[in-house]
Amino acid sequence: MSGTAGDTPALSNIAYDDLVVGERMGPYTESVSSDMAARLAGPIGEPQDVDAVPPAAYPILFLKALRRSMGGIPAGSVLAKQELEFRGVLAPGSDVSIVTWVGDKQVRRERPFVTIEFDIRDADDRQIVTGRKIIVWPTGPSEESA
Amino acid sequence: MSAGEFPAVTDRVTQDGIDAYAEISGDFNPLHVDPQAAAASEFGGIIAHGPIALHAFFRAATTWLGSDALPPGSEVKVTYRAPTRPGDEVTCEVREQRSDSNGRTEVDAECVNQDETVVVSVKAVLTQP
Repeated sequence: MSGTAGDTPALSNIAYDDLVVGERMGPYTESVSSDMAARLAGPIGEPQDVDAVPPAAYPILFLKALRRSMGGIPAGSVLAKQELEFRGVLAPGSDVSIVTWVGDKQVRRERPFVTIEFDIRDADDRQIVTGRKIIVWPTGPSEESA
Repeated sequence: MSAGEFPAVTDRVTQDGIDAYAEISGDFNPLHVDPQAAAASEFGGIIAHGPIALHAFFRAATTWLGSDALPPGSEVKVTYRAPTRPGDEVTCEVREQRSDSNGRTEVDAECVNQDETVVVSVKAVLTQP
């Protein structure tokens, strides 16, 4: 799947059983505007001049890609962990391409954990940030989604 | 660099800030922006987007580094432990800080609210710009 920015739902009803480990989705193109970078540098929503995209932008790019690849996460999901590895610096006003995939899914202590991986690259295909979200899914194996 | 040099940054969580984050991220989950729907949820009211609780750490790290971005080679691992709500004051507090001769600093930090509840735990490696 690939595409450009557009309105997508924040929540999906994708079931645990329907998640395919390793299937890559994207690339999805997103713009990191100067305004977005500025509003995430200081207290949220209070713009500050910046020369580089601040780290707070990347969880948002994860989220945007997740919405476009999977329609978001299901209602009742719990974001348990998030990991980011910084590989390069991005200038405000840049476009990025994002690929996502389900890295792992497993039930631990009766809770279904889903790891979603992200790879963010700039317009020259330089890796900027990689990372993952680990989410407690609201449904487990062979359960109906909400 | 000593542990005392990593600044303690406090963010006040407000509905305006949550609304701004929803606008920037496009995440208008009712738990964040719809008081009635949020009140009927298991949380009993509005909760902030998860990364808002992490924001104080990012601000502390970039202030400490003197850089808008986290330099290449930096890593941040976050465990979300409790929701944050409008009115909360979230402070990033460093628990441990170790620097090596290669310019890498390992930081263990927690973001705590005004009740000293840990809302986010962070293990980070920060490289110099």
